[in-house]
Amino acid sequence: MSFAGELLFTLSAVVAIAFAVGTIMAKKPLRAALCLLAHIIALVGVFLSLQAHMLAAIQLLVYAGAVVVLFVFVIMLIGPDAETSGSEKGKATRGIAAALMGAITLAITFVVLDHNPPMGLVRGCEPGTDCASFGSVEALGKTIYIGGMVPFELVSITLLVAIIGALAMARGRTPAEAQAALGNTASTEADAAPAAGE
Amino acid sequence: MDIGLGEYIALATVLFGIGALGFLTRRNLLIQLMSIELMLNAVNVALVAFNRWQPGSFDNLNHTGQTFAFFVIAVAAAEAAVGLAIVISLFRLKRSVETDQANQLKH
Amino acid sequence: MFEFIESCLLWIVLLPLAGAAINGLLGRDAERPLVHGVAIGSVAGSFILAVLCFIEIFVARGAGVENPTITYDVYEWFNLSVGPFRGSEITVPLSLTFTMDSLSAVMTLVVTGIGLLIHIYSTGYMDTEKSFARFFCYLNLFMASMLILVLGSSLPVMFVGWEGVGLCSYLLIGFWYENPSYAAAGKKAFIANRVGDFGVLIGMFLLLLITHSLEFSEINAIAAEGLSGFRSFDGQFVYLFGAELEISSVVTMACLFLFLGCCGKSAQIPLYVWLPDAMAGPTPVSALIHAATMVTAGVYLCCRLSNLFVLSPTAMSVIAVIGTLTALLAATIAVVQNEMKKILAYSTVSQLGFMFAAVGVGAFAAGFFHVFTHAFFKACLFLGAGAVMHAVGAHGDADIRKLGGLKKLLPKTHWTFLISCLAIAGFPLTSGFFSKDEILLGATSVAYGDGAFLEPWVGQFVFVGLFLAATMTAFYMFRLYFLTFTGEYRSAGGDDHGHDDHGDDSHGYAAHPHANGANITVPLAVLAVGALLVGFLGLPHLVPFVGAHLPNWWSGWMHASMAHPVPHDNMTAVNVAALGGIAAMAIGIGVAYLKYNNQSEDTFTTKIPAPIHSFLFDKWRVDEFYGMVILGPIRWLSEFSARFDAIVVDGGLTKVTPFVVRSFGWIISRMQTGVVYAYGTMMCAGLALGVWWFLYPHPSFQAEVNGASATLTADVGFGYEYRWDFDHESDPEFDTDWSSRPSVEHRFETSQFVAFGVNAQLNDGAFDTHRVDDDNFTVPDDYLPPGWSGEGELSGTPPVFMVGAGGELMLRPNGARSIAIRGQAPVVGDEVVVLPGQVVQIRGEENGVELTRDLTISAYVYATLAVRNAFGNQAKTCEEIEVIPAAAGAQAMVLGRTQR
Repeated sequence: MSFAGELLFTLSAVVAIAFAVGTIMAKKPLRAALCLLAHIIALVGVFLSLQAHMLAAIQLLVYAGAVVVLFVFVIMLIGPDAETSGSEKGKATRGIAAALMGAITLAITFVVLDHNPPMGLVRGCEPGTDCASFGSVEALGKTIYIGGMVPFELVSITLLVAIIGALAMARGRTPAEAQAALGNTASTEADAAPAAGE
Repeated sequence: MDIGLGEYIALATVLFGIGALGFLTRRNLLIQLMSIELMLNAVNVALVAFNRWQPGSFDNLNHTGQTFAFFVIAVAAAEAAVGLAIVISLFRLKRSVETDQANQLKH
Repeated sequence: MFEFIESCLLWIVLLPLAGAAINGLLGRDAERPLVHGVAIGSVAGSFILAVLCFIEIFVARGAGVENPTITYDVYEWFNLSVGPFRGSEITVPLSLTFTMDSLSAVMTLVVTGIGLLIHIYSTGYMDTEKSFARFFCYLNLFMASMLILVLGSSLPVMFVGWEGVGLCSYLLIGFWYENPSYAAAGKKAFIANRVGDFGVLIGMFLLLLITHSLEFSEINAIAAEGLSGFRSFDGQFVYLFGAELEISSVVTMACLFLFLGCCGKSAQIPLYVWLPDAMAGPTPVSALIHAATMVTAGVYLCCRLSNLFVLSPTAMSVIAVIGTLTALLAATIAVVQNEMKKILAYSTVSQLGFMFAAVGVGAFAAGFFHVFTHAFFKACLFLGAGAVMHAVGAHGDADIRKLGGLKKLLPKTHWTFLISCLAIAGFPLTSGFFSKDEILLGATSVAYGDGAFLEPWVGQFVFVGLFLAATMTAFYMFRLYFLTFTGEYRSAGGDDHGHDDHGDDSHGYAAHPHANGANITVPLAVLAVGALLVGFLGLPHLVPFVGAHLPNWWSGWMHASMAHPVPHDNMTAVNVAALGGIAAMAIGIGVAYLKYNNQSEDTFTTKIPAPIHSFLFDKWRVDEFYGMVILGPIRWLSEFSARFDAIVVDGGLTKVTPFVVRSFGWIISRMQTGVVYAYGTMMCAGLALGVWWFLYPHPSFQAEVNGASATLTADVGFGYEYRWDFDHESDPEFDTDWSSRPSVEHRFETSQFVAFGVNAQLNDGAFDTHRVDDDNFTVPDDYLPPGWSGEGELSGTPPVFMVGAGGELMLRPNGARSIAIRGQAPVVGDEVVVLPGQVVQIRGEENGVELTRDLTISAYVYATLAVRNAFGNQAKTCEEIEVIPAAAGAQAMVLGRTQR
């Protein structure tokens, strides 16, 4: 890999890790969302170093442009209650889980780094040759729309279903429905319904 | 130093671990959803890295890994939407986004 | 010569059986006369056929045939295989065969004749009984079983009848089963009989060991030759449960066990307790079963196998003593009883004691003669008692204190009863007189030393005991007679209840007893005539005090079918016996006459001191004793088992299992906390496990040994690569390369051996291996054959394997008599080198037979497997394998290993 690519990768990797840590450790969810945004942008750099140009663009558009925005919207809707205070319950279990996960991560990381497959299989790419279009829009587009046409259509249906599901769940109930169904929590529902909106 | 497949996979592993840690440790549902996004991104990194180092991918323009990552992004977006709808519902029910509050299935 | 007649034997048995089937299945709704007709008709048919067969045998005897026998083979039943003992095994065929010889001819006539009379009597006696069909069915079934018993030609066939009569006895005693005490009496009879049946079975098995046959004819033929005639598997001795027994001991044991069966069936000590309770059944039942036929089956068995019994003086003495004691015991109890049937029941037990005493002193014919005469007069007595009870309306039993003066009211019954009482007391010229005289003569003959194989004291004991018993017999029988028939009718003041349903003692019987019908009095008359006359069939050989000889038809008739071990020629013995009999009768009848004639109450026996009286009245408290000693512990055990089952077994299953399941459930349900992080933690744990499994390889392998080479197969894993090493201790370099093939085959060389093994087959058949390494291995006793040790100063010291300085395996023979490497000459001298693959043979000797024990020498090797997975992580494992090379060459091989 060229020196530029390596530099790009190293910087992006460090930034990505840093902001990932920031995401999970942030006290306020809005801060966490912004760390996530920065992390995603760092990953764009990683993708570029892998010559996955189209994917980097899509990552930016979809993740940074839609998903994070969605997060921010919801945080805004929920308001100040989005923050949670520290609770002492279950610290031991969480500690165990953290320890296990950390151990797994470290084990795999070290094993993978130890047994790096030989580099001889891969070569760089000269500009102007055919392989320059590796990871380009046309190449990836061809693969998706010719090889993966059916999954593509299915994914669009998945998105449709997700929209409908999200709508159904987040719609809430009209005051009439709430009173009919729950009775005792009618007042809470009645308050929440106009606040959450349609 | 030579950056190879191992470094990329190591990065993916670390990011995945961080995401998993965040999911398991935090109580805030929104942060947990963000951790899930981190994990999905880590998987994407691994997929694209394998695709780049697969023998013959340059010559044959084999983009299987990147296609897979593309679909992962699409599905992650859908999942984020539904997950946030669940957050809204939970908030409506319990007036809080703490996952500890969603314990009706407790024995 | 008897072809036509032979099939009659089968019909004699089948007719009552058919009658039972018809009455049992169809009789419930049939008319009374029809049922009576079927029942009486079947027995009458049997009787006629029995008479025909008897005539055939009679004619044949007249024609000079020695021991005429009619045999009819019905079918082959099954084959019994006995053994193997000492390697040999025999097959004894058992077939269902009926035979009739002179002994069983008479018995059959008695059974069918008296049975016929009692069937006729029952039609009158049971005229108000509503389950009459069931009664006649059981009665016919009893007849069929008794005939199978009598006509059976082998012990198993007889045993079928034996059990059958036991069953019918139970059914008939408990005929009125709604009354729980009657049902209990039935059970008691059956259980006591069952104990006896156990004795018969054991006796049969023992006989089978020494006679290899269960046919009566064969057993008697073998026994007639004396003790030398018996066949055993082992020559002179019989080996039973590890004990070495002489043939005479086995004969004695067999006789004693068979006698135990007779005690059960014929009510001797200790199994007589059922007979008095059996009076709960209807009176015809008591007459038929418990007087004339079933209870004499025991005597019949002893007479059948008389040749066998005379071979064992011990058994004969035991039989004589127990018979006498039973006679005495029952007589003492009968003296104080107050109910008619109870007195008659104890009298039956006592008379059976007489019969067995006769058998015991070798007078088989006399004993059986008493069976014959006793059948007549005892049946007549029972039927007479039944007639009395039927007339006065007593239900169950009649208390003689409430009777009296019946000789005017029931004249025919009175005369027959009197005749029978005279017979049982032994009044001169009645049948009982002759038969009792014969028995006493048998006893005195032995007492005077004529019984060559029996001690005189046996005869003396029997004579004295029977004399006392006979006196008491005469006394209580005439007490019964006088109190019942003479004087005034003591229940005349009561109401005319007729047939009273609750016959308790509080009120008397019917004021005006009615006379009985012909179907009751005719059988009584017939039996009474028999009781008077049949005695003349057995006139004594020698007339006492005169010495004249009289013809004795009976002993002539029985001569061929029974043994006659004791001659009855001694005049002194004859005189003493006759005097004793007459004296007993005179004293007994005299005392009874003085005390009871025309008396209205019993003033004599009530003068017996109260403790003795109540002891005798309570039947010597034997039932209570049994209850305490036998029934009590059994009942305790039953209750204990029931409680154990309910608490431990049921509780264990119904409480422990749910408890375990529930506690597991409780533990696991703790995991459902409802919070996500807990579930996430569990998922993490599972993930960690999976990561560990796939990240690091797990090596293991199996080895298949074939001689000196082994096929090693490693367990496969995802992306594994394998390499092997066979000498890892000495050379860490792996022998093979990395390959993805999991199995490899390798032939181990001697340089790769790390230790030696000694394999042997132990004395009990299991295989054992010992690893010989640095230390010496002394061959343990299990590995050595018996008799391995030779003589000399080292005898007793077992051989030793050791590893020499150069690493080779050496064997030092020490005290072994003969030790060699297979294919080579025996080892002499101090030590020899043994190579893996060779077989060391140690020779021993037992009972003159030479035994060899093989010790196979094997070698141990190490096999090492290293595994690498796709991540590049490696692991290795090492196992020790035992190989047995083919016998190596002459050159000594050395262990290829480093010092440890």
